[in-house]
Amino acid sequence: MTQIQRRLTQALQGLVIAAAALGGIAQADPQVGKPAPAFSVSDTTGKTWTLKDLAGRTAVLEWTNHDCPFVRKHYGAGNMQALQKEAAGQGVLWLSVISSAPGKQGHVSPAEADALTKSRGAAPTAVLLDETGAMGRAYAARTTPHLYIVGPDGTLSYMGGIDDRATPDPADIPGAKPYVRAALADLAAGRPVAEAVTRPYGCSVKY
Amino acid sequence: MPAHRAIGPVIVSPGCRLERPTLLAALLLLVMLPAALAWGDAEVRTDKVTARLVAERTRVAPGESLDLALVLNLRPGWHTYWRNPGDSGEPPRLVWDLPEGVEVGPMRWPYPSLIRVGPLANYGYSEQAVHPIALSVPADWPVGQALPLRARADWLVCEEHCIPEGGDLDLTLEVVTPADGAQDSGTAAPEIAKARTRLPQDPIAGATLIRTGTGIRLQVPAADLPEGFNSAWFFSDRWGQIDHAAPQPRRLEGGQLRLDLIPGSAPQANLSGLLVVEAGGVTRGYPVEAASAPAGTGVAAADLGLPLALLFALVGGLILNLMPCVFPILAMKALSLAGQGGANRRDRTLHALAYAGGVLTFFALIAALLLGLRAGGQAVGWGFQLQYPPFVALMAYLFLVLGLSLAGAVTLGARVMGLAAAGPTTGVGGAFATGALAALVAAPCTAPFMGAALGYAATLAWPAALAVILCLGLGLALPFVVLSLVPALARRLPRPGPWMDGLKQFLAYPMFATAAWLVWVLSVQVGPPGVAAVLAGMVLLALGLWAWEGARGRSGRQRGLGLGVAWAGVGLALGLGLTLGTGTPGPDAPAVARTTGPAAEPFSAGRLAQALGEGRPVLVNMTAAWCITCLVNERVALERPAVAEALARRGVLYLKGDWTRRDPAITTYLAEFGRNGVPLYVWYPRPDAPQVLPQILTEGGLLAALEGPRGE
Repeated sequence: MTQIQRRLTQALQGLVIAAAALGGIAQADPQVGKPAPAFSVSDTTGKTWTLKDLAGRTAVLEWTNHDCPFVRKHYGAGNMQALQKEAAGQGVLWLSVISSAPGKQGHVSPAEADALTKSRGAAPTAVLLDETGAMGRAYAARTTPHLYIVGPDGTLSYMGGIDDRATPDPADIPGAKPYVRAALADLAAGRPVAEAVTRPYGCSVKY
Repeated sequence: MPAHRAIGPVIVSPGCRLERPTLLAALLLLVMLPAALAWGDAEVRTDKVTARLVAERTRVAPGESLDLALVLNLRPGWHTYWRNPGDSGEPPRLVWDLPEGVEVGPMRWPYPSLIRVGPLANYGYSEQAVHPIALSVPADWPVGQALPLRARADWLVCEEHCIPEGGDLDLTLEVVTPADGAQDSGTAAPEIAKARTRLPQDPIAGATLIRTGTGIRLQVPAADLPEGFNSAWFFSDRWGQIDHAAPQPRRLEGGQLRLDLIPGSAPQANLSGLLVVEAGGVTRGYPVEAASAPAGTGVAAADLGLPLALLFALVGGLILNLMPCVFPILAMKALSLAGQGGANRRDRTLHALAYAGGVLTFFALIAALLLGLRAGGQAVGWGFQLQYPPFVALMAYLFLVLGLSLAGAVTLGARVMGLAAAGPTTGVGGAFATGALAALVAAPCTAPFMGAALGYAATLAWPAALAVILCLGLGLALPFVVLSLVPALARRLPRPGPWMDGLKQFLAYPMFATAAWLVWVLSVQVGPPGVAAVLAGMVLLALGLWAWEGARGRSGRQRGLGLGVAWAGVGLALGLGLTLGTGTPGPDAPAVARTTGPAAEPFSAGRLAQALGEGRPVLVNMTAAWCITCLVNERVALERPAVAEALARRGVLYLKGDWTRRDPAITTYLAEFGRNGVPLYVWYPRPDAPQVLPQILTEGGLLAALEGPRGE
């Protein structure tokens, strides 16, 4: 018996080392249906946004990087801007989040970010500059674009891609299944979100 | 970096570089001089990639099959993607433009490498990606007519940032007679042959997927993997199955390669992908399709071999004979046997076999139920039947009836127990019933003694699992069978006499105690309304049995009235018992966790991982209201002031899991330790050194463990 127990202990050690090492990652990953991760990040005007500021409203979080071909696909074709304006029309908040670290692709100053918003005709409620990547890591944002929807009660209601055509080709937008638009419609109608977790696609977030 | 679509200047092989303005001229050349290009292929050179479509032979015969390949030569530091690109990216795509009748197979995917990008990970290829594609030359393709193959290729190439690129690829093959074709092997042949060695090997069958407290574990039979491999990495086929970037700690144990994985955002019941293994400098990829295994396929379990498990089961079964709930039945049975000293050998053998048959039938039923639920994907453990309130209620009724019968209030139960049987000849059916009854009342008692063997049984294929469980039954049946078959032993038992009545009546009280305990279990499971229902049921049952007794030996209306009352009482009692809510307790908080003693938090895998991540020592106690051993351990060890004080002094997080009702999270945790039942005590002095404490705790032993060195 003692030998079995010793072998058992040895066997478990590896497992538990792994569990402990990964505990942080496993814990950090947000889950749909659970409270959305907290954050505190400044926007381009210097205003600090936290999860509490979203209370009572549906909010879309959009991870973005203006130089990523997949982001250019949706901004170049006007798809992202159209979605932002639809959301605004429904009273939904839209936060674009830039988690590129200083010196990495997509990192911008507040002025550059505002200029991008203007030149692209974008309509986010605010653009958050998450230079440290803290908010991106809290949400486990992996790609640009990567979209999340937080319900009025602070519950994470959607996470994933903007649609189901994982290519950088704008020609794929018209036939794609618009996951985010559908999720917003579900939430507006008080239905559970039909497809609440989808594959995010695009470039990696440049942490 | 420019991110526009960069279809590069086209180079017509070999070697003469054409500038963009001359692209048209080059294309014209291609169209006008197909014969001149019959041996060649064209490459597309973009900013980061040189792309070619190649064939292992450029001279082919009609009806022949061969491999083409898309070859992407990448700038150093850049990569393209596997069919599942991982956290970001996009696999390359080909759209063919082929002559009528010519068919090509899908792009094939050599094993990828893991390419880390910050906290993320991609599956892809660096330096060069070669994707073989099967081609069948039509049998009726005219010899001498060139075979043109065209494809539009699009790929995403990334360093840290990404550029979508693409181009139109051409390849023209010369079609010759079979004799001429055989002599040729194109310049791309070695490249394609090398890529083929990197294609998936034969799939490995028998892989399983286990949910553990902190993630998922992939188990792959090591016999099908190369011997002495140095590295192993699992590449998931689809997005969402696993966290692509998470480390994959591995162990080779019990003939299984075990990889611990973290589930992705959209995990599924099954896991499929490619296991890439390096041995002796040779790397190979093996497709793996892992079906979810039931809970119980734990680490320790596999350490216990089948013969040892069978032995444990047999010994455990023997011990069951001494259980307070089983012993009275067997004691009375054995004593009645002593009175049958004169019965002939054949009757005694028949009697013994009937009894053993009853025991084994019941155990086989339990095993079938357990294995059936397991096959249905249910996470159940031994003792699971006690997690269903109606079952507990029926058991409480049963013990009440047995108690009443022993006490002499009714004779119904006595007949089943064989006490009323005048001789062995009338007792064959009775012996069978006694065996089944003994097994029924013994089943809940098995968990504390049989945890290891039953946990092991749950991991086995069904024939072996059935063998272990039947061995347990055999152990239970054995003493009585031996007594029956060896008259010399039976003769050594005390002579029957009036003292037996006293003993019999005394033994009613363990039965009542068991019934009282089961009612308490119900109080935890379903709260006060359930207790009220089952107590009312017990009163009605007793009334019904009394009426039944009264109806005996009477006739006419009195008998009818008696039987009516009896049926009504029994029926109402059963109705009350069977309609108890399944697993919907009054209070939300786990009742067992509410007992006194050191402050405990309810167990959750997340809380455990969090505390271990903080480096905090943790004591995990898995318990259930119906587990007597657990409750004794609480009293004599866990709830002692010295233990509470030791826990507080070391800042130990005390996590208590209540398995009184079904809880898959606890079943999974038990399975990690090769257990299939409670109690289980795990002490983590350090996150990496969990110690499984004995199932029978003492205050001194527990304190010694808690006060011991911080790990070893």
